[in-house]
Amino acid sequence: MSNAINPSAQGKTYWRSLDHLAETPEFKELVEKEFPDGADELKNPVSRRKFLSLMGASMALAGLTSCRRPVEKIIPYVVKPEEIIPGKPQYYATNMPFGTESFGLLVESHEGRPTKIEGNKNHPASGGSSNVFMQAEMLNLYDPDRSQMVLNQGKNSSWNAYRSAWKKIAETYTENGGEGMAILSESFASPTMMRLSEAFMKKFPQARWVTYDSVSDENIFSGVQAATGQLAQPRYNFKEANIVLSLDSDFLQMDSNDIPNARDFASRRKVRSEKDSMNRLYVVEGTYTITGGMADHRLRVQNGQIGMFAAALAHELSAQGLDIKAPRVNADFDKKWITVLARDLIHNKGKSLVVGGRRQPAEVHTLIALINEVLSNTNKTVSYTANPDMQASSLKSFMNLNKAMKEGKIESLIILGGNPVYQAPADVDFAAGLKKVNYSVHLSSHVDETSANTTWHIPEAHFLESWGDVSGYGGAGIIQPLIAPLFDGKSDIDVLADLVSDEEVWAYGVVQETWTGILGAAGFEKAWRKVVHDGFLTSTRETPVAMNKSRAQGVVSMSRYYSSTVSGNEMEVIFTASFSNFDGRYANNGWMQELPDPVTKVTWDNVALLSANTAKQLGVKNEDRLKVSTSGVDVVLPVWIQPGMADNTLALELGYGREIGRVSTGVGANVGVLRYASGMNIASGFTAEKALGTHTLACVQDHHGFDEEKLAADAIQERLPAIVRESTLSDYQKDPEFAMAFAEKNELKGMWKEHDYGEGNQWGMSIDLTSCTGCSACTIACQSENNIPIIGKDEVSNGRDMSWIRLDRYYTGDVEDPEMVFQPIACQHCEMAPCEGVCPVAATTHSEEGLNEMAYNRCIGTRYCANNCPYKVRRFNFFNYTKDVPEIVEMAMNPDVSIRFRGVMEKCTFCVQRINVAKIEVKNEGRGLEDGDIVVACQQACPTDAIAFGNINDPNSEVSKVKAQNRDYALLGELNLQPRTSYGAKLRNPNPDLEAEHHAAEHTA
Amino acid sequence: MSILNKHPQRDSAATEALGGEELLVTGGHSFSTLTDKVSGIVETKTPPKWYLLFAMAVSGAMVLLGAIGWLVWEGTGIWGLNNPVGWGWAIVNFVFWVGIGHAGTLISAILFLLRQQWRTAINRFAEAMTIFAVICALVFPGIHVGRIWLAYYMFPIPNQMLIWPNFRSPLLWDIFAVGTYFTVSTLFWYVGLIPDLATLRDRATKVRKKVLGFFAMGWRGGNRQWQHYEKAYLMLAGLATPLVLSVHSVVATDFATSMVPGWHTTIFPPYFVAGAVFSGFGMVMTLAIIARKIYGLEDIITVNHLEKMNKIILVTGSMVGYAYMTEFFIAWYSGNEYEFFAFINRALGPYAWAYWIMFLCNVITPQIFWFKKLRRSIPVMFVASIFVNIGMWFERFVITVTSLSRDFLPSSWDYYSPSIWDILTFVGSFGLFFTFFLLFLRFLPMVALAEVKGVMPEADPHNYHSEGGAK
Repeated sequence: MSNAINPSAQGKTYWRSLDHLAETPEFKELVEKEFPDGADELKNPVSRRKFLSLMGASMALAGLTSCRRPVEKIIPYVVKPEEIIPGKPQYYATNMPFGTESFGLLVESHEGRPTKIEGNKNHPASGGSSNVFMQAEMLNLYDPDRSQMVLNQGKNSSWNAYRSAWKKIAETYTENGGEGMAILSESFASPTMMRLSEAFMKKFPQARWVTYDSVSDENIFSGVQAATGQLAQPRYNFKEANIVLSLDSDFLQMDSNDIPNARDFASRRKVRSEKDSMNRLYVVEGTYTITGGMADHRLRVQNGQIGMFAAALAHELSAQGLDIKAPRVNADFDKKWITVLARDLIHNKGKSLVVGGRRQPAEVHTLIALINEVLSNTNKTVSYTANPDMQASSLKSFMNLNKAMKEGKIESLIILGGNPVYQAPADVDFAAGLKKVNYSVHLSSHVDETSANTTWHIPEAHFLESWGDVSGYGGAGIIQPLIAPLFDGKSDIDVLADLVSDEEVWAYGVVQETWTGILGAAGFEKAWRKVVHDGFLTSTRETPVAMNKSRAQGVVSMSRYYSSTVSGNEMEVIFTASFSNFDGRYANNGWMQELPDPVTKVTWDNVALLSANTAKQLGVKNEDRLKVSTSGVDVVLPVWIQPGMADNTLALELGYGREIGRVSTGVGANVGVLRYASGMNIASGFTAEKALGTHTLACVQDHHGFDEEKLAADAIQERLPAIVRESTLSDYQKDPEFAMAFAEKNELKGMWKEHDYGEGNQWGMSIDLTSCTGCSACTIACQSENNIPIIGKDEVSNGRDMSWIRLDRYYTGDVEDPEMVFQPIACQHCEMAPCEGVCPVAATTHSEEGLNEMAYNRCIGTRYCANNCPYKVRRFNFFNYTKDVPEIVEMAMNPDVSIRFRGVMEKCTFCVQRINVAKIEVKNEGRGLEDGDIVVACQQACPTDAIAFGNINDPNSEVSKVKAQNRDYALLGELNLQPRTSYGAKLRNPNPDLEAEHHAAEHTA
Repeated sequence: MSILNKHPQRDSAATEALGGEELLVTGGHSFSTLTDKVSGIVETKTPPKWYLLFAMAVSGAMVLLGAIGWLVWEGTGIWGLNNPVGWGWAIVNFVFWVGIGHAGTLISAILFLLRQQWRTAINRFAEAMTIFAVICALVFPGIHVGRIWLAYYMFPIPNQMLIWPNFRSPLLWDIFAVGTYFTVSTLFWYVGLIPDLATLRDRATKVRKKVLGFFAMGWRGGNRQWQHYEKAYLMLAGLATPLVLSVHSVVATDFATSMVPGWHTTIFPPYFVAGAVFSGFGMVMTLAIIARKIYGLEDIITVNHLEKMNKIILVTGSMVGYAYMTEFFIAWYSGNEYEFFAFINRALGPYAWAYWIMFLCNVITPQIFWFKKLRRSIPVMFVASIFVNIGMWFERFVITVTSLSRDFLPSSWDYYSPSIWDILTFVGSFGLFFTFFLLFLRFLPMVALAEVKGVMPEADPHNYHSEGGAK
């Protein structure tokens, strides 16, 4: 090719050379293929050589049709699609599947381009709010590293080629009933997938269907199955629970159905005045989760001992008169803690709730079900349901499959999503198994570890690109595509339907067929349209499952688990789903990688979490490298000392060390190689030792070991009571004005005549620290809404994180076992803003509506405003952070918000674009703004409704009412900046019987 | 005794005539030998050593240019700045250079008004240093902004956006203060140069004569010219005097009007001025010691002169030390926990090393000048002057960086360390400074000849009439 485009070698005339060029085999290949080999190289600016050669080819292509520069035409709508007004976004309801869960979404679309995901307000699960995973899907859709081509043996192929190859093989299987054929899917809860899988099994009765996820609720399901006799999932009703006990469950963040759980849980912590009550949360856990941060009482216990704790609790319940037989355990848990807890649970019989985390083995969940039963919580705060559309993960059948593969019993394997080579336990060499399979197909969004070992790879369509359905919490719903597949991807329904059907099928038709069964043929069209429009069907497809107490009691009594768990002195290793990657599915998502873990505040890495004591024993400190090894395999990870972790526990995050794209490559280490089938969640038999060197971590808070420095630590503890004002419910009842204790007593005087903001709309915000869980949904929703750039690990390490709303995390009390609080901080929009006076070019000024505004065009970047901001919320574009954003990622940008160039300061605008859109809309409707017309991005995402926003001049607005509460305080109010954002002081509701001890501990700290 | 030749016995006679007062020019110089001495420096063939030094200085300036080029190309991110620490070495260097630029005008204007005749030996030199230091300083506010190409927004230029700069911002005051200071200093320096340029012109030939003639503006040394000249000089001195005090006071407001703990202190303006004079004299001292040695100017810049400067260093150094302690006291006395922490953190926090370098150099070092022997020892004062320069750079570093790195909310605290580009920019600014300075030494009379002659006994109209006069 290089010869062909060299004019000197081919004569002077460009045309001649092109003619010649058209004859070369390389060029022919280019013309034939829709996507040239290595087209993705184009998006990688580093590969200059490739770029030049591709440019040459493109020029040649252009030259073949025209001798002029190709004319680029923008084409306006000839016939404008109905309802579409350019510049005005459309909103579509759809659903996001997430394992066996799903979230109802409302997706904003600009001229056919989805840009922002919100929760569907009417959906029972999401209720209009979201979590980090939902928000991050926007970027997953536009991931430039997604696979773009059907591959056969690693070479470009096509969907049709795949189909014809399958048709040949299919004939054999039609004859032998599918003997030697297997399907491996991820877990799902989808009526269509269930129907298709049944059809598949009917067509190929001898085939195997295996479902596997590396992070799943399998243990919970098994535990509940042991207690009820049926495969069922627990559904919690936190609204009714006065007392909640979490046994290693991060129900506010990482465990299933986090959004409804968080919302319902927080609804019981909405304290409007000192007359209101609160629920009480006890948490027993080994790591420090955000659920632990919300706890009123938290007990740190090794994860492997939590079963013993549950047994000890059952024992105590029995001692206090409940009909439960628990195995005797020999453990020295805090006796008083258990006694008080048991008393509290019994006292709130039928209004308490015990939840268990997915890491805990089935035995613990059976016992939990039993405890809930004897506490009369069943069908009050917890119920069990069977979902007919659910296919749950099974490690055992996955291992059997691999065994069969290795034995050569499987000739054809179709993998519908997932990444089994990466996700398999360490002792399951799935790649080796795949080598023995003649015909293997992998449907996957990326050409990943598994695709490299299969004969076929099919690009998987994102759920925003495909038709489908979900079934789960609160009802079933339709997944409708917002955009045609960007990379010609296929959904699992496409692939599976093609296997089942003889003719070519269309996912839309398949899903409709399923729903004809659900909605009934009569009046289907209308009902279908309604479901698609609403996004879900309210009537649930789940059936209740009854608790079987005697069965559960029998299982518990028979089990030896509770007494045989690890002793506290033995090192245990636990594998946790990563806050940012989950099981690795967000590994190539820059938003997620850069989103600080809410507890550790570390970005762009997975760390080995351990307690200070354990670190001392191992002789390591933060950022040291720790070699964790078992059975001859080792992984080296940076150390992060986590206050509040149980001693002798080492927590490792899954989902890192993937090399599937420009973001994921080189980020963290894959701890999956240490994860054996026998210890998928909690394992022992590991050694950990200090390795040479250190590993710099990009941490956004407590940089460079400030916590270790006494001067800083003392100053933080001294300031903290005023920064995060906190009290207990009982103290609050005694002193309702406690939050004002820190307020400046003297009259605060301004330097100049203060502007009167008494008229018109005056925007303000209030953030309730009592219900803020620290889930970080606000941070990532803000990033999506406001086009906040991803800056990479180096820049985060340089302390230049760009988040407009950050979550400050503070520890209080005992250094070893502290309490944790979160405080979301965005621009406070001070009426007496210190940033405005110091800007020499007046680039930041105040609006009539009390917004502190940035004129990006005027800003020259002196950074004086950021220096003078006491909240340090201003973010500077030190480089042109959007320079290397691939074109496709630009599609994820919100067109209503400008992209900031380097050298410009930016910060929270109170979503001024949303304010203005709402103003225009109400004007068109001929009315004035009402409370709730404007919902800012962080507020919208917040699952616990901790953020109130609105007009503070309107005494009836929600924000005015919240600000009128006596817990409301201005952060750094003594500076007289008159911030428009205020905070609702944090309340906890400790048990008075334990509180005395708690206070004593705090004073010794 | 002829006025054309050196007379070694002249000194004692002259001292006698002055009633025992110290002589400002020693070595038995007459007007003529003095002219020969000073003019000779710029009239002889350029020594190879000068070329070597000049090459080094220009290389340094090129480093600055390169560092700025990369900065414009890549962005402010090449520096070590981060979120809490929005100002780093660039601002430190700015304040450092502006501070150095204080000595010249102080010597030429304030000491002139106070009739401190000893200033004549060093004023030209110091003024040149001032101008070059201010040039170096002015580089930084221009390049430290994020969008350098729009830095002109800071000037009150009428524009189509109908928007003025924000007159409330101290950065804008800076533009005016430093700009005015630079203009007046340059004017003052140039006016002082005119008689000496004429002297050089009269000794020169050909092109050199024409060029010098142009810049000498037709100076003939006539009585009337002198009369006008002296008036003009006096007026400029009067104009420059308040500027000496205002420039650094205004620079101090960059910090003092903000609300950052450690910046927000009313003591800053006077304390900055004292520090500026301190650092300026430190730099004059360093340069003077080298120059008088190389160019053999020991007769003109005598140990007496240096001793007087050391006294000023002692005074201003002690003022600075007093200010440090006052700051601490007020931080404690105010009862403001943020303020107090900012100061404790300076002394004991992660930047304690910088604080104690500053303290040692600025407070302890000048105290050696209480001893006459040390005050008059060239090696001692040379080392001390270097210490003062280092100390004053660190003072600006401590003020700028430590305060920002830990302010109100502990969550945003971070540590700042410079990048290689910060360091190169700083080193390069010295290159720029010395490039100018070496050019000055090569082409202009480094001692104010006319003024020095004016303070010699021979300038006294009665010198030749008295008994001790010419024999």
